[in-house]
Amino acid sequence: MTKLDFESRMPEELRVNVSHVVSYLVKRIRSYVLDYAACESAIIGLSGGVDSALVAFLSAKALGANRTRLFLLPSRTTSKSDIEDAKSMAASLQIPSSNVKTIQIDSHVEELAKATRTGCHDRLGVGNIKARTRMILLHSFAHQRNGLVIGTGDKSEITIGYFTKFGDGGVDLLPIGDLYKSQVRQISCRVNLPRRIYEKPPSPALWKGQTAEGELGMNYFLLDQILFRRFDLWLDEESISKQLRIPIQKVRKVIQQVKVTQHKRCPAEIFKVSFRSHGSDLRYPREWS
Amino acid sequence: MKTVQFGLAQISSKIGNVQANERQHIQVLEKLNGERPDFVCFPELSLTGYLLKDIAYEVVPQCQKALLRIAKKTKAGQRVIVGFVRQNNLSFIENSAAVMGDGKTIGTTSKFYLPTYGLFEEKRYFAPGNPKTDLKVFDSPLCRFGVILCEDGWHPEPTEALARLGAEVVICIASSPARGLTKSNSSNELQIESQWISILKAHAIMNTVFVVFVNRSGPEDDECFWGGSTIISPFGEIVARARKFDSDILLAKIDLDEIGQARRFTSFRDHNSKLHEMLEEL
Repeated sequence: MTKLDFESRMPEELRVNVSHVVSYLVKRIRSYVLDYAACESAIIGLSGGVDSALVAFLSAKALGANRTRLFLLPSRTTSKSDIEDAKSMAASLQIPSSNVKTIQIDSHVEELAKATRTGCHDRLGVGNIKARTRMILLHSFAHQRNGLVIGTGDKSEITIGYFTKFGDGGVDLLPIGDLYKSQVRQISCRVNLPRRIYEKPPSPALWKGQTAEGELGMNYFLLDQILFRRFDLWLDEESISKQLRIPIQKVRKVIQQVKVTQHKRCPAEIFKVSFRSHGSDLRYPREWS
Repeated sequence: MKTVQFGLAQISSKIGNVQANERQHIQVLEKLNGERPDFVCFPELSLTGYLLKDIAYEVVPQCQKALLRIAKKTKAGQRVIVGFVRQNNLSFIENSAAVMGDGKTIGTTSKFYLPTYGLFEEKRYFAPGNPKTDLKVFDSPLCRFGVILCEDGWHPEPTEALARLGAEVVICIASSPARGLTKSNSSNELQIESQWISILKAHAIMNTVFVVFVNRSGPEDDECFWGGSTIISPFGEIVARARKFDSDILLAKIDLDEIGQARRFTSFRDHNSKLHEMLEEL
């Protein structure tokens, strides 16, 4: 399949102006990390998937290869090809070898699973421990190297809550968080990331054989079209079902998934007692200092 | 030729840091000393930053002091426009612009239309300006001009009223965040940029005035201001344009004779106030 084929398969309404978006995100990463946060480097967990590959590409473009630190944190459920793809991605970005570190996380995960009595049959429980172990490692490296943990979540995953709270969701910045997975793949294709990275089925690889599309019961093109129509165009479920010619139950299932994961996208609830409480009527901008 | 030179100070302000922003204003004025433009225009809320949230209530005293010091840096005959937070006599705060010159503050005006939709929440904090007291035409030795603030440009009346009061130049100071970047189109314009340029051109053509648009640049919390400050002639032509997203200082000259030339070929004089009476009842 050629690049043109890949883009032509994309629903037209989801296609982005790649040069605009890339130059904008590069500027934003640079100013956030260096100027606002006054940090020296970006700390990125590289999985071999398309999201982290694109974030690593943007970071290298924004901050330079020397300020981009990549961490491969595989477990035994990470496929060999993902590890190879992550390594070849780091090499293609010319990240110095001293900035690329691989740590097998299984021993830490097993210890935590044992301490919390999480059985190996509890795939989700163990999966969450893996995601949170990675978060702890990335933040520790960020602390040591005056870095910021750059998250790799995209708008599709964030909107349906397809991430671990305080795991891969526990990051300092989400540069591609307003781009649907289809758009991430389109950009990755156009900026010449390796084809097998943007064409492989996305997976958090928390257990063997896990694929995002398998769990969602639909491919990302369809998911993104539903989300785009519901939340960008503000259409109702019936109109979406008619426009996409799919059963309304399919649309409802996606919307329900968004609703039940809303807590993941919000800061922790604070019960109001005073006249002015955080999150309610005590509001200051992030860039306050 | 009746030439007026404008300096458009497309700066990136630090949110809530009036002291740093004041320094930036003074640096720009000092930098432009050699060129000595007749006007130096800063963006909306240039002294405070835009997405202030609760800081909006806390910056008023600092703004007053900063304005005094900036005013002292203005030259005789020069006009300088600065965005700031003003407290009115009911103790409400307003999103305002100060017009300075000859070493002092000549007057102020406040925003009439406070956007409270999408990412905007101005009505939560600010009281609207009163057209009866805030719609003002100011004089410079070279021309008559008025100032509007950002969202006021998305409505026809403020610019039209200023033009009919005699303004030859309408200065629109803005803090317009970038959005609609994902829209795939062949042109190199952002969606919001195309909308702004269309609106500004319409104001300039319909009212046969020069429109000077000064936008913020740079990031602020989740948003990023796209810059692209622009001067448009009464014929709807772009006279000058600043860079997008980055800070920039744009110097450009306009020829006021174009206003008279343009007015010979428009129906600007045929104002029908009955239409406004009707609008009043809607």
